[in-house]
Amino acid sequence: MASASPITAADAGLPDYVTRQPSGFYRSANPGTKLAVAALEVVAAFVLPGWVGPLLVLAVVLATAAMARRMRGLAAIALATSPIVGSILVINLFLLPGASDPIARLGPLAPTWSGLSFGLQTVARLLAFSLAIGLVYLTTAVDDLLADLARRGLGRRVIFVVGAAVQMVPATIERAGEIVDAQRSRGMDTEGRIWRRARGVLPLAAPVVFGALTEVEERTMALEARAFTAPGRQTLLRVPADRPKHRVVRWAAIIALIAMVVLRATGRLV
Amino acid sequence: MSVGIRLDGVSYRYAGAAATSLRNVGLELEPGRVVGVVGANESGKSTLCLVVAGLAPAVIGGRLEGSVRIDGIETAAMRPHDLAQRCGLLSQNAATQLSGTTATVFEEVGFGPCNLGLPVADVVQRVWAALGAVGIESLAPRDPARLSGGQGQLVAIASILALRPRYLVLDEPTSELDPAGTKLVAEALARIARDTGAGILLVEHKTDVLAQIADEVVVLERGAVAFSGPAAAVLADPRLVELGVESPAAVRLERAVRTSGLEWSAALAKALS
Amino acid sequence: MDQLTRWVRRQFTTRVVVLMPVAIAINIVLGATVQQGLKLPIYLDSIGTILVGVLAGPLAGALTGILSNLIWGYLLPSPIGTTTIGPFAITAGVIGLLAGLWGQLGLFRPRRGRRGSLLAAAIAVVLVGALALYTYARAYASPDQFANITGYKTSDFDQSRVFFLGVMVAYVVLVGVALYLRRDVGAVLAIGAGLATGIVAAIVSAPIAAVVFGGVTGSGTDALVAAFRAGGDSLYQATLKQGLLSDPMDKMITSFVVFFIVGSLSRRFVSRFPNGEKAIGESPGTAPQDSPQS
Repeated sequence: MASASPITAADAGLPDYVTRQPSGFYRSANPGTKLAVAALEVVAAFVLPGWVGPLLVLAVVLATAAMARRMRGLAAIALATSPIVGSILVINLFLLPGASDPIARLGPLAPTWSGLSFGLQTVARLLAFSLAIGLVYLTTAVDDLLADLARRGLGRRVIFVVGAAVQMVPATIERAGEIVDAQRSRGMDTEGRIWRRARGVLPLAAPVVFGALTEVEERTMALEARAFTAPGRQTLLRVPADRPKHRVVRWAAIIALIAMVVLRATGRLV
Repeated sequence: MSVGIRLDGVSYRYAGAAATSLRNVGLELEPGRVVGVVGANESGKSTLCLVVAGLAPAVIGGRLEGSVRIDGIETAAMRPHDLAQRCGLLSQNAATQLSGTTATVFEEVGFGPCNLGLPVADVVQRVWAALGAVGIESLAPRDPARLSGGQGQLVAIASILALRPRYLVLDEPTSELDPAGTKLVAEALARIARDTGAGILLVEHKTDVLAQIADEVVVLERGAVAFSGPAAAVLADPRLVELGVESPAAVRLERAVRTSGLEWSAALAKALS
Repeated sequence: MDQLTRWVRRQFTTRVVVLMPVAIAINIVLGATVQQGLKLPIYLDSIGTILVGVLAGPLAGALTGILSNLIWGYLLPSPIGTTTIGPFAITAGVIGLLAGLWGQLGLFRPRRGRRGSLLAAAIAVVLVGALALYTYARAYASPDQFANITGYKTSDFDQSRVFFLGVMVAYVVLVGVALYLRRDVGAVLAIGAGLATGIVAAIVSAPIAAVVFGGVTGSGTDALVAAFRAGGDSLYQATLKQGLLSDPMDKMITSFVVFFIVGSLSRRFVSRFPNGEKAIGESPGTAPQDSPQS
């Protein structure tokens, strides 16, 4: 899987702002290692029974985050899940099918204990899932992730699509923001009743879509002029380190992941 | 082997288009020379750039008649990445010229050489050489998405130079730039032609830039060459205005001085240039 | 094998590779605006995916959809980046794949004044109607306590019939608007393709939504899930019913938009994509040697 690339960046006179590596056990880990660990955590959160899976995973993720000094970033990600957390709690608390152990009666509404328990468990699982992946995001530069995937054989076209999309989204949002501001000043509603909000979508969507599409032709020519379609492998300037200790962690995570799936599939893990 | 880019009797029609965009165009570009191209909107300037750089028809299809040869080889026989190493192409909008995938200017300029799969040491050497040729070594650590228009265009030029083409085709590289940015780019182009010996085809409606750096100028009219010749002569030609091209400021000044009955002296011309 | 490789390569020309990030950005920005910003009960996050599918082919469309959700979920900072969107990459991939098939069948082609197009439109309406009728009859047929909440008995309030009619009315209205704006029978096929895509998307999404997050996504569609849960449906039933309302609506609107985009782009631009000729119909003056190589 991690075949040695024939072309590497070792000591070829690259400036340090290209080769700079993060420090610390978790943060300096190879992106592949972080992805393997995150995959193990996500599967564990869903496969280990009851409360065990989500809570165990949450504990591990939080400990790792504390070690990597990324608690604040993780808190922001947790906060971003609050709309869905709210929905999950409300819907399950009041509307869990078959639940018959009411906490209280509030007119037509009857919150149930089993609804509360199911809702909290779903939330714990959701948080375990979101934070496990969020921690990879917080500690890995997208460039390093893509460079590592390229090193492992992902094609230059896919690498380009992902890299360009990641940079293009904020630029497009900026443009959309300008359009919204311009239209608001001409009296368009972005708040208010559903129909008024819906009517605002088209005048927003059309300039965003067509503005982006007009550049496709020029970008295509530019990419051809940069020898994008040359055959063979691309040279990689960024090559994330892959130390033996991180390799051990990676393989351990992959083996544990496979073991867990096999145990679950054979019914020995309920 | 003949050196230079040669167009003989070139006509080109876009795929699905009814009319031809270039008609019987002949043109020659030698290493170290700067050839300017002017003409009204829709006179075929951008199409000419794509044809000279070989991307039409290789990438966009369409029908080409006549012969386009780069150093004696027909462009029709070359693939896009071969063409990129012989003739670099750059258009007006710097934002679309950059790959949009790199974190530093250094890596952006290295994008082309990396695509060729060159050893890292070669890539590094080419990047510094290209940045040096344009005079922007200090931009190397910067984020390409956060550059001024002029800086962005210089990075785009360096990115093309890193592929070591013998010829450059530039489609209005200064049209989106302010006077300061235009000056930066014009100076960089003059230096490239002088120092690297590259042949440059420069489409430019700012005739002042051409007056400053072009050796020859070709005037296009509705897809055909109206007239061409040494830059000074063509840019002073009164027919330019009829073809929708504004003369350089110096020429306009001389005309204004003469029409108002004043004397135009050699000393005055020298003081202006 | 060789033919397969060529089929794959043909869909990933440089032009397609440039279009894909643009499409992904459009998906994410419009999707985030509509779902997180405006809280509307539709998604509008597959315009780019369907556009790529139609112009470039099924694989390019599928990859655009999958990457859109993965990038949206995992590579962008919050609040735009939302980890819960990631698992729906599967649905997004299926949407792109279908769009590619519709494109190859020419369903997004402008058909103004073409012979046989009325017949094609009629066939499309019958097929789409039959598909919708079957799905809605199956999905909403289960006995439930909807009646307890609404006061309607199942006998006088037939969910499957009501929702089937609702979606078909939306179809007719959208087609009507498209015909009014464009006078082009092609809209009947394009929006019909959207309806079919929506039904498939709902069926693929429901188990993901139910298993992963208890049927909740934190967007405007949660209100619908809550309503069905209030009616006593199981998790899976509720998410499927919600999906069968939101998805066909969303994909019909999206296809409507893509049909208009494809129609408004210049013929020269569209024809340079691998499926461009199929998407807009062959232009009369195009000879084989006109087609680009990359």
